[in-house]
Amino acid sequence: MIANPFEYSTPATLAEALGLIADGAKPLSGGMSLIPMMKLRLASPEHLVDIARLPELNYIREENGELHIGAAVTHYDVESAPLLCGKCPLLAETAGHIGDIQVRNRGTLGGSVAHADPAADYPAALQALEAKIVLRSAAGERVVTAAEFFIDTFTTALEPGEIVTEVVVPVEPGLTGTSYQKCLQPASGFAIVGVAARVRRDGANFGAVQVGITGLTGTSYRATAVEQALVGKPATDETIRAAAAHAADGVEANSDLHASADYRTSLAVSYTTRALHSALSRSA
Amino acid sequence: MSTTFAPSTTKLEKLVGKRLRRREDPRLITGTATYVEDVKLPDMHHAVIVRSPHGAADIRSIDISKAKALPGVVAVFTGADIVGVGTVPCGASLPGLRRPDHHILAQDRVYLVGHPVAVVVATDRYIAADGADLVEVEYDIKQAVTDPEKALAPGAPAVHSQWPDNVAFTFHQNGGDIDAAFAEAEVVVKQRITSQRLVPNAMETRGVVADWKTNDRSLTLYTSTQIPHLARTLLAGMLGIEENRFRLIAPEVGGGFGSKLNVYSEEALTAWVSMKIGKPVKWIESRRENFMVTIHGRGHVDYFEIAAKRDGTILGLKLKLIQDLGAFHQLLTPVIPTLSVLMMPGLYNFRNIQAEVVGTFTNCVPTDAYRGAGRPEATHGIERMVDILAAELGMDPAEIRFKNFVRPDQFPFPTATGLNYDSGDYANTFQKALDTIDYHGLRKQQAEARAAGRLMGIGISTYGEICAMGPSVATPAGGWESATVKFEPSGKVTVLTGTSPHGQGQETSFAQLTADELGVPIDDIVVLHGDTSIVQYGIGTFGSRNTAVGGAALFYALQEIKEKLKKFGAAMLKAEEVELGDGVCLNPKTGESVTVQEIAGAAYRGVVIPPGMDPGMVVTKFWEPANFTYPFGAHIIVSEVDAETGDIEIKRYVAVDDIGNQLNPLLVDGQLHGGAAQGLGQALWEQGVYDDNGQLVTGEFMDYTMPRARMMPWIESSHTCTPSPVNPLGAKGVGEAGTIGSTPAMVNSVVDALSPLGVRHIDMPLTPEKIWKLTNGRNA
Amino acid sequence: MKIAGSAKLPFAAERAYAVMQDPLVLAKAIPGCDALEKTGEDEYRLKMKMVLASLSGSFEGKVRLTDSNPPRSFRMLVEGSGKIGFMKGDGLIQIASAPDGGVDISYEGDAQIGGTMAAVGNRMIDMTARMLIKRFFEKLAAEPA
Ligand SMILES: Cc1cc2nc3c(=O)[nH]c(=O)nc-3n(C[C@H](O)[C@H](O)[C@H](O)COP(=O)(O)OP(=O)(O)OC[C@H]3O[C@@H](n4cnc5c(N)ncnc54)[C@H](O)[C@@H]3O)c2cc1C
Repeated sequence: MIANPFEYSTPATLAEALGLIADGAKPLSGGMSLIPMMKLRLASPEHLVDIARLPELNYIREENGELHIGAAVTHYDVESAPLLCGKCPLLAETAGHIGDIQVRNRGTLGGSVAHADPAADYPAALQALEAKIVLRSAAGERVVTAAEFFIDTFTTALEPGEIVTEVVVPVEPGLTGTSYQKCLQPASGFAIVGVAARVRRDGANFGAVQVGITGLTGTSYRATAVEQALVGKPATDETIRAAAAHAADGVEANSDLHASADYRTSLAVSYTTRALHSALSRSA
Repeated sequence: MSTTFAPSTTKLEKLVGKRLRRREDPRLITGTATYVEDVKLPDMHHAVIVRSPHGAADIRSIDISKAKALPGVVAVFTGADIVGVGTVPCGASLPGLRRPDHHILAQDRVYLVGHPVAVVVATDRYIAADGADLVEVEYDIKQAVTDPEKALAPGAPAVHSQWPDNVAFTFHQNGGDIDAAFAEAEVVVKQRITSQRLVPNAMETRGVVADWKTNDRSLTLYTSTQIPHLARTLLAGMLGIEENRFRLIAPEVGGGFGSKLNVYSEEALTAWVSMKIGKPVKWIESRRENFMVTIHGRGHVDYFEIAAKRDGTILGLKLKLIQDLGAFHQLLTPVIPTLSVLMMPGLYNFRNIQAEVVGTFTNCVPTDAYRGAGRPEATHGIERMVDILAAELGMDPAEIRFKNFVRPDQFPFPTATGLNYDSGDYANTFQKALDTIDYHGLRKQQAEARAAGRLMGIGISTYGEICAMGPSVATPAGGWESATVKFEPSGKVTVLTGTSPHGQGQETSFAQLTADELGVPIDDIVVLHGDTSIVQYGIGTFGSRNTAVGGAALFYALQEIKEKLKKFGAAMLKAEEVELGDGVCLNPKTGESVTVQEIAGAAYRGVVIPPGMDPGMVVTKFWEPANFTYPFGAHIIVSEVDAETGDIEIKRYVAVDDIGNQLNPLLVDGQLHGGAAQGLGQALWEQGVYDDNGQLVTGEFMDYTMPRARMMPWIESSHTCTPSPVNPLGAKGVGEAGTIGSTPAMVNSVVDALSPLGVRHIDMPLTPEKIWKLTNGRNA
Repeated sequence: MKIAGSAKLPFAAERAYAVMQDPLVLAKAIPGCDALEKTGEDEYRLKMKMVLASLSGSFEGKVRLTDSNPPRSFRMLVEGSGKIGFMKGDGLIQIASAPDGGVDISYEGDAQIGGTMAAVGNRMIDMTARMLIKRFFEKLAAEPA
C-alpha cells in the first residue's frame, strides 16, 4: 500500500496548473479515487498537480438563473451549501449519498465528474439536471452537456491536457420536485444503481420529467423511455410503475459480485419507481 | 518503620459487578497507544515481501538483480536462502494428519495467492516496496482448486502433488448408537449447509519489529499476537535461538479475533532477516496482505441428517463436515472443525451422533480460529436443522426446542461427543427471551403481516458453546493460566497476567477483582501483560478464557497473597488471629490494625519476617481448570424482507445470554455487541470469495462487506446467571457468545419470513440478490 | 469469467476473417497495443499499455490464433502480465454473413484476471472488458472494406 515515487506541485494559479498538465502532469483533486489507486500501484503518475487548492476552482455562485460550481468544491460543500440546498436540492441530496463523511470532506465535484466511475452518484443527477460541464486546457475552454460528457466506463469527453473547471446546473423552478434514490453496494458504498428524478406537474398529469440513472451500466444515462412514458399522463402509481419498467431499455447491465445484470436491471426499475414517487410527492 | 496501628476509616466500594469504563480507552481513543507500527528503533530497516499473484504455480526463476541494485536496498532473500529455518508450526495432533512443509518463503512452488516468494530489505519502507516491484519471478502457472468439494472430486488438481486426493485428514466422532436412532426414527431431515470463508480483519493488521543483537545472541521481537509466550517458544524453535535470550513483546494489539492466535511466516522471516543483517527490521502487513495471507475463518460444507420422532424428539444426528483447510496448516487449522463436532449436539438431549470430518486442501489461505472457532459453524448447523425439522413436523420452533433441551436435573450432562456440560437451565433462559420479545404476540402479528402479503420472520437460536479453553488435555499447548500479584514496597499493586488481552478489557476487570480482594484503591493497581520478560509464562488470549481461566488464576494468587498478608500482619500486630478485610489487617482482640500497604512495605524491608515465611510480597499462581465452561443463551431476531428488492430489515433483536458471573457488565455488553456484529456479518454480508483460478476476489474493503455501525440493529440484551462450578469466579466466558448466537437467529428469521414461499434453507451470506431470486421480485 | 457478445463489421466474411488475422490491423485495434511482433505461426508477442481512468499499466504477453476455419471461425487467445496483474482471454470468434452485406460476429469465451486488478477491481471488470471489446471491433470496422 505504498505508492511509487512521484513529483507533486501546488501551483498558485489555474493557468500555471494547466501548463503543467499540458506537459503531461496529472491533476490531483480530492484524491479520494486517485490516491487509493496509487497506493495499490494500479496508478503510477509521475507528476501530480494539486488543483484542489486553487481559488479559481472553489466557488458556488448564481448567475442568470444558473448555478456555477467550481470543480474543486467538495462533496460536503455541495451537500450543505445553502445556495445549492435551496436552489438545486437534487445535486445537494445526491452529494449527501456519496461514501462517508471523510470522503465527502475531501472528494470534489470536478474530480468525481472527471473520474466518471460507472457507479458514481453525481452523474445521475447531472444527467437529470441537463448540466453543462466546462472543460479548460492551456489552449482554451469549451462547454459540453452531461449527456455528451459521459461516454463509457471511466471514459469522458476530456481530451489530453484538459480538465473540468466548472459544473453548471439550472436554478430549480420552485414547483419542480426532485429526488435521488440509491441502492448502495454495502461494502464500498458506491451505487449499485442510483436514480435521479425531476418531476413537474401539469395539473393532474406529469409535465416535464427528467430521469438520470447511474450504476446500471458503463456510464450514466438519461432514461428517455421512462420520461416519454410519463409526460402528459396522469400522475398516478400506475403511470409510474408502467413508465419505470422502461428504466433499463436498451441498456446492457453490469454484473459483479454484488449484483448480477438481471438483479441490477430489476433494481433500476424499483429505484426509478421510488425516485419518481418521491420526486412527485415533493413537486407542487 | 511507620506503623500507625490505627484502623483505616475509608471503606472502599466493591467494584466487581460494576460497569466501570475501561482504563485502556483513553490511550486508545486519543491515539497514544503503542502498536507495533509505532515502535521505531535506531537504524531500523524495513522489509517488504514479494508475493505470488497465482494460486498454484511452479517457480521457474527469480531474478533479484534489479532489486538489489536499487539504492537503499540492503538485501533480498528468496526461498533458497532460508536454509536452517524451521517450518511454520501446527499444533494439531490428529492421527494420520498430512503435514505439508510450510516454509517461510516458497521453495519451488507457490500454493496460494499471496504466498511469500522473496523479501526485500531496505533503509526505508518506500524503497523496500520499490525494490519488491523489481524482483522478477517467472512462474509456470498450474491449475488451482479453491472449492473444497471440487478439490475432493476425482481428477481435481492436487494442491500438494504427494497427496492427489487433497485430503489432509479424516476424523470420526461417534457416540451412542446412531443406527438404532435412525432405525427408530419416524422422520429424517437432511440438509447441506455451508459456512462461508470469513476474513477476520482486525482493525490493526499484523506487524513485526525484530531486533537481533548479535553480540548478546539475543532477540527482541515485537509482534501483534494473542499468544506472546507460545509464539516465543515456537519461534525460538523455528529460528534455533534460546528462549531465555528471546524477549517477545505484544504491545498494544488492535484486535485479533483468533487471527493472531498463530505463528506466521512473517514473524520468523522478519526475525531471521534481522539476524542476517544484524539490524532491527520492521515488517507491517498491508490491508491487502491481511486479506490474502492472514488466516480466514469458517469454510465449511456440512451435510446434516437428523433423525426424530413425530412428536419432535430428536434421536440422533449424522454429519459429514468438509473443512476447507487452505493450502497449509497454520497453528490450529485442523483442530477447528473437530471443535465443531464437539459442539454439534448444541443444547439438546440426544445421545446418538455420527460425525466425519474431511479436512481438505485447497489453493487458498489457511482457515483457522476466528471468533467462535468451529462453534459458530456447529451452532448454525444444529440450529438450522432444528428449524428444518420443526418445519417438516409442522411444529413451532420454540416448542421443539423446549422438547429437546437438556434439563437442569441432568447436569453435569455428558454429551454424545464426550463433553461434560457444567451447568445451566436452558428452558429458563429461553423463556426469558420469549417473554422479552412477546413471542406469542409476534406470531399473531406475523399471521396478520402474512395475510397482508408482507414477509415477516421470527428467528430463534438457542446456543451453547465451549469456553474457557481449557483443561490441558484438550488444549495442545496447555490449558492453564498464570497470574502474579505483586505489592511494590510502596504499597502499589502490580498484576501480571499470562493472558494477553487485546481489546477485552482485563486491565480494568482484573484491577476490579484485585481491588476488591485486597481492599486497595483501583488506581493503585496496574495490570501488565504481553511481555515475556515481564510476565511469567502464560498461554494467552483465545477461546473466551481470559476471565474464566486467567481471572481464576488471579483469584487464587490473590487468595494466597492475602494469606501471606495475614501472616505478616499478625506478626506485626503480635496477634495470633487476625482478620483481613477492606485493605486492613485487624487484631479483633485489641482493635489494632495495619493496612495491607504497610504490611507490604514491612515485608520488603524484612523488619518482621514470620517464621517459615520469605520476605517480599509477591505471589505467582498457575491454575489448571478441570473442565471447559459452557455458556449458553437464546437470541431472537424479528425481520422483514422486501420482496421487491430482497432487502432485509432487522426489526428487533433480543438476546438473553447466560455467561455465569460477570466482573464488569459493561465489558460484557461490549463483547456481546461486537460478537453480534460479527455474527450478523456472517449471516448477511461477509464472504471471502476465491475464483476458480485462486484469485481472492474480495481482496479489499471495496468488495468485502464489513458490518458498519449504521447497519447494526438495537440489541435488547439481558442475562440469566448460572454460575459455573468450574472456577471460583463462577464465570463462563463471553468473548464468542454474540458471534455464536446471532448468526443462526438471523438466518432462521429470514428463512421463516420466506417460508410461505416454500423456502427451507438459504446459505449465507443472505445477500439481497439471493433473497430476490427466491421472492422472484414479487410485488414488483 | 464468461465473456460473450456480438458485433457487426461492414465487410464480407472473407475480408472480415482476413482483417482479424492481420497483425498490422490487430496492432491498431487491440486497445493500448504498443507492439505486436510475430514470433511463430499465428503467434505474436504483445506489448500493451492499458490506461483507464487513473489506472495505467503495461502488459507483455502473447496473442495466438488457432483452430482456423476461414472464413467462418477461429480461436483467439490473448494473455498478458504486468506489475498490476495479469489477464488471459480465450475465445471462439464466429463470423456469419448478414443480410446487409456485412457480417455478424459472435464471440464466446473465458477471461481470467489476476493480481491486484482481480483483488480490488471486481466491480469494474465486466464493464471494462466489454468496453475494450467494443473498442476493438470499432477499430476493426474502421478498416477499409
Ligand atoms: C471509501 C470511498 C467511498 C466512496 N464512495 C463513493 C460513492 O458512494 N459515490 C461516489 O460517487 N463516489 C464515491 N467515492 C469516490 C469519491 O467521490 C471521489 O471523491 C471521487 O470519485 C473523485 O473525486 P476526487 O476529487 O477525490 O478526485 P481525485 O481522486 O483527485 O481524482 C480522480 C481522477 O480524476 C482526475 N481529476 C481530478 N480532478 C479533475 C478535474 N478537475 N479535471 C480533470 N480530471 C480531474 C484525476 O487526475 C484522477 O484521475 C468514494 C471514495 C472512497 C475512497
